[in-house]
Amino acid sequence: MASGQQWVLVEMVQAFYEAPAYHLILEGILILWIIRLLFSKTYKLHETYKLTEREKEDLIEEWQPDLLVPLISKDHPSLKYNIVSGPPSHKIIVNGKECINFASFNFLGLLDSERVKEKALMSLKKYGVGTCGPRGFYGTFDVHLELENRLAKFMKTEEAIIYSYGFATMASAIPAYSKRGDMIFVDEAACFSIQKGLQASRSFIKYFKHNDMEDLERLLKEQEVEDQKNPRKARVTRKFIVVEGMYINTADICPLPELVKFTNNKFQIL
Amino acid sequence: MTESPASKPASNGEVCPHARNGLKPERNGFLKSLQQQSRHRDRDRDEEEQAFLATFQQSRSNIPPGFLPSGSGRLPARSPGLAEVHAALHHGGLYNRPFLESFEETPMLVAVLTYMGYGILTVFGYLRDFLRHWKIERCHIAREKEEQKDFVPLYQDFENFYTRNLYMRIRDNWNRPICSVPGAKMDLVDRVSHDYNWTFEYTGRTVKAVINLGSYNYLGFAENTGRCADAAAEVSMVYGVGVASTRQEIGNLDIHEEMENLLARFLGVESAMAFGMGFATNSMNIPALTGKGCLILSDELNHASLVLGARLSGSTIRVFKHNNMQSLEKLLREAIVHGQPRTHRPWKKILIMVEGIYSMEGSIVRLPEVIALKRRYRAYLYLDEAHSIGALGRRGRGVVDHFGLDPRDVDVMMGTFTKSFGAAGGYIAGKRELIDYLRCHSHSAVYATSMSPPVVEQIITSMKCIMGEDGTTIGSDRIRQLAQNTAYFRRRLREMGFIIYGNDDSPVVPMMLYMPAKIGAFGREMLSRNIGVVVVGFPATPIIESRARFCVSAAHSRELLDQALSAISEVGDLLQLKYSRHRIQPSGARPFDDGVYEDVDD
Repeated sequence: MASGQQWVLVEMVQAFYEAPAYHLILEGILILWIIRLLFSKTYKLHETYKLTEREKEDLIEEWQPDLLVPLISKDHPSLKYNIVSGPPSHKIIVNGKECINFASFNFLGLLDSERVKEKALMSLKKYGVGTCGPRGFYGTFDVHLELENRLAKFMKTEEAIIYSYGFATMASAIPAYSKRGDMIFVDEAACFSIQKGLQASRSFIKYFKHNDMEDLERLLKEQEVEDQKNPRKARVTRKFIVVEGMYINTADICPLPELVKFTNNKFQIL
Repeated sequence: MTESPASKPASNGEVCPHARNGLKPERNGFLKSLQQQSRHRDRDRDEEEQAFLATFQQSRSNIPPGFLPSGSGRLPARSPGLAEVHAALHHGGLYNRPFLESFEETPMLVAVLTYMGYGILTVFGYLRDFLRHWKIERCHIAREKEEQKDFVPLYQDFENFYTRNLYMRIRDNWNRPICSVPGAKMDLVDRVSHDYNWTFEYTGRTVKAVINLGSYNYLGFAENTGRCADAAAEVSMVYGVGVASTRQEIGNLDIHEEMENLLARFLGVESAMAFGMGFATNSMNIPALTGKGCLILSDELNHASLVLGARLSGSTIRVFKHNNMQSLEKLLREAIVHGQPRTHRPWKKILIMVEGIYSMEGSIVRLPEVIALKRRYRAYLYLDEAHSIGALGRRGRGVVDHFGLDPRDVDVMMGTFTKSFGAAGGYIAGKRELIDYLRCHSHSAVYATSMSPPVVEQIITSMKCIMGEDGTTIGSDRIRQLAQNTAYFRRRLREMGFIIYGNDDSPVVPMMLYMPAKIGAFGREMLSRNIGVVVVGFPATPIIESRARFCVSAAHSRELLDQALSAISEVGDLLQLKYSRHRIQPSGARPFDDGVYEDVDD
C-alpha cells in the first residue's frame, strides 16, 4: 500500500543520509562500473564466425578431391608382371622362355619333392582346401597343432605358433610384445615386415648400423645412462633387440654369438 | 502417402510387421530424417533433403512370407512414427526390397543381472590373484625364466586380469581342434582339462558328426570331394604346392592371371588383384590408398583389419555410428566445410569404409544410401565384403547385387575368399587405374609371397560354379538354398523367443546370451548335444552383449537345421535364454517363396 511504501522510502532516505561518505562513494563507483560493463561490447579472443547454410553449400560444391590413386604411366617397370607357366622349380618357363631359376627362394628344393606333393594331396582329400574360419572358431585342425609341436621340437623351444601369411608374422609379433613407450633396438637393414611391425607397435625405435656390434654397444650404454637418471621409468620400459638371422636386404648373417654374449642376458632378443 | 496401421487390414501383411522388432527410429539416423521430413512436408525443404526426396517413390509392398504378422501378437506401445517406419522400410526408390533390421533392446533385469555377474567374477578374480600372490594357490600363468627375473615383465599383471580370471574359466569353448572337413558336419578332437582349462590333454578320441554352425561355410564349398577338390588336386600335382617368390619377381603364375580376370568378370568391374591373406589385404593396401592429409570415415563396428589399415596409413580417422546415415552425413558435411583440423586446409580425399555384412551384428550396410551420400559429397567408398561375397545377392555377387546396384559405383571393392569360396586369401577390385597402382605400390605385391596354386584353383573352380560357367546349376542352387536356410533359421529362432540381431537376409545370426556364465554354459551344452557353435564375449563385443553366433550354410539340409533348432530350444529353456518380449506366433508351415529375388531386374 502506498503508506507502507512511503514509510519504507523514508527509512531508505534516512539511511542514505546516515551512511558514511566513503561507503557512498564506493557504492557509486561500483554502480557506474556495472553500467559500463552492461553497455560495453562483448570481447572475443579472435574472430569466430558461423557459416550460413548457403556458404556451407558453396563450400561443399567447390570442394574437389584428389584422384583416388595417382595415374601410373603405361611403362612403369613394375606394371607388367612376368608370367610363369608351369611349375616354379629349378627350370622355369617365364614369358614363354625356359630359364634356369635363380630367383625363387627355393633353397632346399622342396617345391619339387614328390613326397611333399603326395602328403599335400592326402591332406587335400581329407580336409578340403580352406579352413573356413579363424583359429578360435573351428579353424584349428589337428595338423596345425602337430606342426606347431614339430616346429617347437625342431627349434628346441617350448612352444611354437604359426601364421598363415609370412609377412604378417613379424608385423604382428612385434606389436604383441612391445607397446607404446617401450624401447626397440633394430638393425638398419631390417626387412620391410619388421619395419611395419615397428610402426604398428608405436615404441621408441633406435637403429644401429648393420651388423655393427660396437654401435649397438654404444647405444646400449647410452640407454643405461638414461635409465639411471630415471629409474622409475626404466623399471616399466621393456627393451628389445630385433635382428634377422639372414638379412634379405644385404644377404649376410647376424653375429648371434657375440650378440648374446655381450647383452649378457640383460635384453630380450627378438 | 503414409497410411496409419489402424486403417490397413492385417490379412495381406502390408502393415509393417516389424513393429515388433524393437526397431527404434533413434537408432537409425535415416529413419529419423524421414520422420522429420514427413513432419516438415509442407514447409520449405532444405536442399539436402531435396536430394534424398528426389528419389523417394511410392512404396512397393513386397514382403516375403515368413514375416507375416499375427493378429494376437503383443504389440508394444509405439511412438507416432510407426507409419513413417513403414514408409521408410519400403521407399522403393533407393531400396528394391524391404530392409528389415532389428536390434532389440536389452531387457533391464537381464542387464542388471549381467553386471552383477561380472561384479562377482571380478571380486573372485581379485581373491584368486591374492591367493596366487601369496602362493596359497598354484600359479599357472606364463612367467619369466629364472635368469630373466630382473627383466621388466612382458605382461603387466593388470592387463591380463580379464584373461586370467574370466577367459580362462570358459576357454574350452574356443580353439576347438577339428580333424575333418569343416562342412555341415565335422569331427572334433576330444580334449579334456584336469586343471580347469589351464592345460588341455587330447584323449585320442574324436567326437564324430558334430553339426557345424560355426564355420564360415556359406555356400558349402568346404568339401574334399567334387569338382573343386579334384581340380585343386590336379593343379597341385602339376604346379607344386608353393611358389616361393613374390608377385613382382617370379611368383606370378598364369593361373593367377586367370583367376584375377575371372574375378573381375564375376564382380562386374574392370580389374581385380588377389592377395594371400584377407586380413593382410586390408592392413597393407589401405596405407597405399590414403596418407597424411586424407580423411577416413569408418563405421563404429569395423573389423580389426580395417582399423589397423587405417591406423597404419597415417590419415585422420573419424568414426560414425553403426550403419547410421545421419551420423555419416553430418561428419561428411563438417569435414568438407571445415577442412583439416587446425589448418583448415581442404582434405585431399575422403574415404568411407564400410563392410558388407558385419559379422558380430549380422547387419547389412545401407549401401544405396551410402552411395547416394558418396555421390553427393564426392567421397570414395571402400567396401569390405568379407562375409557378404557369395552369400548375398540373387547371383551371389555380394551386397551390391543384393541391392541391385551398379558395381562401378563402389570405388574399392575388397573381399576375402576364405568364407564363401572355401579357399584362402583376399582381393581388391575396382577400376583399372586403381589396380595398376596397387600392382606397383602395394606392400603385398612387392614383399609377400604369392598365393599357392591349389588355393588359386579352388577359387577358380568355385567361382565358375557360382557363375554357372561350369555347365551345372550347382551354384545357383546353393545360393537359393542359403537364402531359404537363412530365412527359415531366423524365423524359427524368432518364433522361439530368442533375441536375434541383424538383418533378416544375412546368414550370420547372432543370438544374445548376455550373462558371462551362460557363454560357457551354452557352448558346452550345445557340444554335449553334438552341435558346435561359436560363442563370443568381451572384448569382441560390448561387455554385457555377449552372444552366440550361428553361420547358416547352404550345406545344411532342412533336417539338420531342425535338429539344431530343437537342441537350441532345449538349451534355451534350460538356461532361460528366451529373452525376447516380442514373440511371433508361429505362422503355418509356409514354404519359402522363390519370389523373394524375382523382382530384381536383370
